[in-house]
Amino acid sequence: MAVNILIVEDESKTGDYLRLGLREAGFAVDLVSNGVDGLHHALAGHHDLLILDVMLPGLNGWQVLQQLRAQGSAIPVLFLTARDQVEDRVKGLELGADDYLVKPFSFAELLARLRTILRRGRVEVEATSMKVANLELDLLRRRVTRDGKRIDLTAKEFGLLELLMRRQGEVLPRSLIASQVWDMNFDSDTNVIDVAVRRLRGKIDDGFEPKLIQTVRGMGYVLEVPGERCD
Amino acid sequence: MIERVSLTVRLTAFYVLASTLLLLGMAAFISSAIQQHFAELDRETLNDKIQLVRGIVDNAASLEDLRSRLNDALQSHPGLYVRIEGADGHVLYDTAAFQFPPALLQQPPTAVGQHTSAWHDGQASYQGVVATLAAGAVLKQDARMVAAVDTAHHAHFMADLRHSLWLYVLAGAASSGLLGWWATRAGLTPLRRMKAKAQLVTAHKLDQRMDVEAIPVELADLATSLNEMLQRLQNDFERLSDFSSDLAHELRTPLNNLLTQTEVVLSRSRDLTTYRDTLASNGEELQRLARMVSDMLLLAKAEHGLLHVPTLADIDLAHEVKALFDFYEALAEEHEVRLLLQGAAHVKGDSLMLRRAISNLLSNALRYAPQGTDIVVRLDPLPGAGARISVANRGAPIPQDMLPRLFDRFFRADKARAHHDSDGAGLGLSITQAIAQAHGGTVCARSQDGHNVFVIELPLCHPAATAAMGSKPAPKTVHG
Repeated sequence: MAVNILIVEDESKTGDYLRLGLREAGFAVDLVSNGVDGLHHALAGHHDLLILDVMLPGLNGWQVLQQLRAQGSAIPVLFLTARDQVEDRVKGLELGADDYLVKPFSFAELLARLRTILRRGRVEVEATSMKVANLELDLLRRRVTRDGKRIDLTAKEFGLLELLMRRQGEVLPRSLIASQVWDMNFDSDTNVIDVAVRRLRGKIDDGFEPKLIQTVRGMGYVLEVPGERCD
Repeated sequence: MIERVSLTVRLTAFYVLASTLLLLGMAAFISSAIQQHFAELDRETLNDKIQLVRGIVDNAASLEDLRSRLNDALQSHPGLYVRIEGADGHVLYDTAAFQFPPALLQQPPTAVGQHTSAWHDGQASYQGVVATLAAGAVLKQDARMVAAVDTAHHAHFMADLRHSLWLYVLAGAASSGLLGWWATRAGLTPLRRMKAKAQLVTAHKLDQRMDVEAIPVELADLATSLNEMLQRLQNDFERLSDFSSDLAHELRTPLNNLLTQTEVVLSRSRDLTTYRDTLASNGEELQRLARMVSDMLLLAKAEHGLLHVPTLADIDLAHEVKALFDFYEALAEEHEVRLLLQGAAHVKGDSLMLRRAISNLLSNALRYAPQGTDIVVRLDPLPGAGARISVANRGAPIPQDMLPRLFDRFFRADKARAHHDSDGAGLGLSITQAIAQAHGGTVCARSQDGHNVFVIELPLCHPAATAAMGSKPAPKTVHG
């Protein structure tokens, strides 16, 4: 059952490419280019998530959200905007948005946040262990084994591996990794994440097959069995 | 409404009012003085006439004689009127065709020199007096004498005088108005000069200043304030232009790379891998540009004092630094550099912003620390709930004159050095400074004995520093 996403975006290039990218990521996507249509479609109730641009002709993003919530719709909303004021962020969240992305954003970031929103409210069975191919993660005892061999990781390395495994198959942008693993919510101007991933690879991929941690150039990192990506 | 009336009109109106009042006062004084003088003269004249009549009465042989002598006398004294009444009230003598006012006739006699009365009869005016004639040879009993003199000539004189005075007052008022207006205009010339100077000021010519020496004392304060305002505007404008041109310049190089790369790759048919790699490389470059734009926006906000600390939470700096050490663990290991924390301190501020500020200092230190050395982060509490955070690393000494410039936007210490992809845009230290300033603090650098130390002090207790926040660059002091 594909997840239905409604995009409300008046910039045709942005809208078209977002639709393409999300479709290829496995979502069913509808695109409208103004606030009135957006509100109308959203209220029809066929969608699981709304990606809403703030600057829209006719009804702007704020108004669409306000009216949606006023009419009792609880559809999750992800705001897109070029404006970066703290007040806008707060305003958006107060009005009932679930998240807020400032343009320009990386598509991988959008995807990751989208998935985070969709994941909310779903009852997560707390797994006690995770396994991908011959890599095993024991969450209770905080232990990693590959091919039966114990591997020593630092706390943060474990956290990084756990994140990659939990979001297996999802390309995670560096900003998300920094935020989830280290709680660093700003763009670092170094290749800190790259080095951390490299070190992790050295411990859990070097000398083992298959190579699980992949680099997706220009987007981020993903943990999966190679060949399983739809290319 | 009153406030909007022009100064010139206002001052001129005051002059006219004042001089008119003065002139009127003077005119009234002159008029009244002359009036009194005339009254004096008339009194004396009347007294003389009374003596004269008394003389005639004494010398008269009989009533007939008295009458004829009085007639003769009165003929040679035109303008004099006499009436003599006996004790019983019947008229003994009366100047022909003269009407004394009834009030005067009723009056009791007065002593010589007292109490004259004045009255008008149509156009003519008179002064009159009542006196006693002692009984004598002719008058068997005391008689009453009423005498009057014609004061027409005095009255005319006074009328003419008043007329002239009015004319003069009006003329005086008018000319004082004109003179006042001219004087005010001349006096307000410095204001017009200031206005002319102010009109020269445009966005491109902000260097105009009022010449405080050539301005009257009362306007000096105003001129000084205007000069200070112009200076601030000029500073801000220059910084704004610098900012825009810096940004434009820095954007040019990456944009050029993107453009060239794209065009070259498109110039002929290539294999899929090449296209893929090109797109990936462009994607990375674009992400770097996006970060730069974000950073510049933050700096722009800081420049205009719009960078506010959203929440003032109590920050445990040791905790933050340890979190940062975890973050940089892998990188430090790769560079074979040890990260050490000394001391502890708390401060009020925003966790995300402070983390970022310290993170930039750490990444900077990691970039320059030689292999096998330590990076030491020291936390010290400062009086007044402040804190000092210093990040020290060993490394090539930074020239003293370069130390203040380290926090300039896009400053790179070694221009000649290859610009690694891992290097930032050169905004890290500027951002640290902006964040320190937003917290009311400062950041500075020093370099000695092979150690380079960057020190953030928060917040600074000087009100001057808080005032400088966001409107001037932080004082680039170098601690000795």
